[in-house]
Amino acid sequence: MKEGSGDDQNVAPSVYSHVSRPGSHRYKNAKKGLPFNIMLVGESGLGRTTFLNTLCERMVVTPNDGPNPEQAHIAEPMQFKHHTVEMEEDGMKIILNIIDTPGFGNGIDNESCFNQIQDYLEAQFDEVLAEENRIKRNTKFRDSRVHALIYFITPTGHSLREIDIELMKRLGNRTNVIPVIARSDSLTPRELVLFKQRIMNDIAAFDIPVFNFPDPEEEDDDENSEENAELRAMLPFAVVGCEEVVNEDGRPVRVRNYPWGVVQVDNDEHSDFDRLRYVLLNSHIGDLRDRTQNELYELYRTEKLSGNAMASADQQQQQQQPEQHQAALAAQPRSVVA
Amino acid sequence: MSASDASSSSKSQAASGGIGIANLPNQLHKIVTKKGTNFSLMVVGESGTGKTTFINTLLTTELIEPLDDASRRKKQLDKTVDINIHKAELEEKMFNVKLNVVDTPGFGDYVDNHDCWLPVVDFIENQYEQYLRQEQQPVRKGIVDMRVHACLYFIRPNGHTLKPLDVRAMKAIGARVNLIPVIAKADTLSPAALRQFKKRVMDVIDAQSIRIYQSPIESEDEHSTQRNKDITSAMPFAIIGSDREVKTADGRHVKGRLYPWGVAEVENDQHCDFKKLRSLLIRTHMLDLISTTEEVHYDKYRTTQMKTRKFGEPKPRKVDNKKFREEEETLRTRFTEKVKLEENRFRQWEQKLIAERDRLNKDLEQEHNLVKQLESEIEAIANSGSPNTKFFRK
Repeated sequence: MKEGSGDDQNVAPSVYSHVSRPGSHRYKNAKKGLPFNIMLVGESGLGRTTFLNTLCERMVVTPNDGPNPEQAHIAEPMQFKHHTVEMEEDGMKIILNIIDTPGFGNGIDNESCFNQIQDYLEAQFDEVLAEENRIKRNTKFRDSRVHALIYFITPTGHSLREIDIELMKRLGNRTNVIPVIARSDSLTPRELVLFKQRIMNDIAAFDIPVFNFPDPEEEDDDENSEENAELRAMLPFAVVGCEEVVNEDGRPVRVRNYPWGVVQVDNDEHSDFDRLRYVLLNSHIGDLRDRTQNELYELYRTEKLSGNAMASADQQQQQQQPEQHQAALAAQPRSVVA
Repeated sequence: MSASDASSSSKSQAASGGIGIANLPNQLHKIVTKKGTNFSLMVVGESGTGKTTFINTLLTTELIEPLDDASRRKKQLDKTVDINIHKAELEEKMFNVKLNVVDTPGFGDYVDNHDCWLPVVDFIENQYEQYLRQEQQPVRKGIVDMRVHACLYFIRPNGHTLKPLDVRAMKAIGARVNLIPVIAKADTLSPAALRQFKKRVMDVIDAQSIRIYQSPIESEDEHSTQRNKDITSAMPFAIIGSDREVKTADGRHVKGRLYPWGVAEVENDQHCDFKKLRSLLIRTHMLDLISTTEEVHYDKYRTTQMKTRKFGEPKPRKVDNKKFREEEETLRTRFTEKVKLEENRFRQWEQKLIAERDRLNKDLEQEHNLVKQLESEIEAIANSGSPNTKFFRK
């Protein structure tokens, strides 16, 4: 896989149309499969595993019941679990790498979770940076930078909580953060609308950098801007996950069965899951990858390299400083210190 | 009257209708009805679990107003757990109840929820303390009784198990008050998932020795016993809360939540355990809650306190609140800094004085030397024996 090569950038813009056009995905790597890395972050029980299985349309991870009752008072530390699934979407092969984070936000004090994730994201950037600077580069280098981070928001119905705000703020500059409302079938339509509004207000108020479907600068395509605006209005996506598939009129339909009704996961009135899936794997996969490469990675690179320069300048200054300091001390008349 | 006479007369009275001891419950009823009673309920849980809605649904009136957005945003940055008390007087068929609802906004809402159950536990113990002190006063009329009779702990329905925070908090709270665990927002779990979750929660509660409220099962009639059994087996109660009425598909007007795919009804036993919980709290077990609080929990507190303290002695205050510790630290550092500044000032002043003294001493010495010099000159001149000097010898 050749990442970062100039040709890809010129070809990418034509992918944006909602209706797929034949031959529109003109990535060179169509045969081998386009690598796409997603990270799922959210507290346990919000449906991460179910989302993963529903997204890949197969049982990638079997949901586990949680720790032993005797161990329930001990918070398990956060882990990174990698899963790779090959998908085919509209004739395009995608190698989907999903990084799950069980244990996030599960402890009593969750401060360390943010640093762990940030370190992971930056480590992937570092690898690419190191690879770029090698004299002899590896043509088979696997890009493991996280292109999208799906953050699952607890459906409190009120507004963002401290942990939500902190996480999205800290990681928004290292990856494309896509907030989703988890288990959205616990909110009535009216509550959902209000909740979405409040979340967007909070995101604006706290200046949180999330992926809000930016229109690329060169592009004048009204259709795409319209689509992006429409998607922006839907943010954050409300998802309902399920693994139960029933046969309705002969077609398999993903549902959740309640005593008072049946939620259809694929129904756009009931949940935004399908839309999100399309965005992730189809319409905006190019956008997400490009933004990771062109904006986020470049930002990190600049910070890192200039940080290095500043760090070495600092060091030199500090070496000179002790000598100056000694001289200054000597010049002062000695004062009597009681 | 002799004993035999008494017995014979009582027998005859029994035959004619009794002396009227059987009327005592009626008298008691009148007294209690007139006095009314006092009931304190506490709700604990993360924000967004439906505590406010539940209380308003239970009382069919908006006792607690939901926070507006601005205050909620401010609360998020606050990082403290507050204790809010809402008081109401309920009256039904001439019987009135002074109800206190204690809310705990901020519980479990932050990134670092270390010790967030301490304010809750402190509140509970303080009420016991207050009551204890008032009981020990010479004048015991008009005691204010704010002891918490039941604490509802709202568990988030994450479908797996209890979080470590829940375990620690419930352990601490359950040891001091009647703890009733409640699964909040139960309309997000399918029936099978709900059953499994309930079982997991009870497993954890057993394994971790968390003490929860056990309602008495045995009762006089079969009907009540069965009902009590139902209630106990339904714990932890799965709750849906709603304070508005909606119309179902078949035209009924019920309290519930209107989804595109159906209406989740609050008072439908197939949908949630709200009715059972309401029965527990108000209709059937309110008295038991009150009496277990007084006889078991309060008594435990009283015993432990009286063993270690003398009668009338105030409770030793523990300084353990983390936020206060931080404030204390900052105050202390400021104080030390100020003291240091003053000390420096004094030191400098002292140095100046010393320098001044030295200077003056030096001057004095100089003068002294000068004087000496002159004296020696005089001596020299005097000793050299010139005619003029004869004059000085005198």
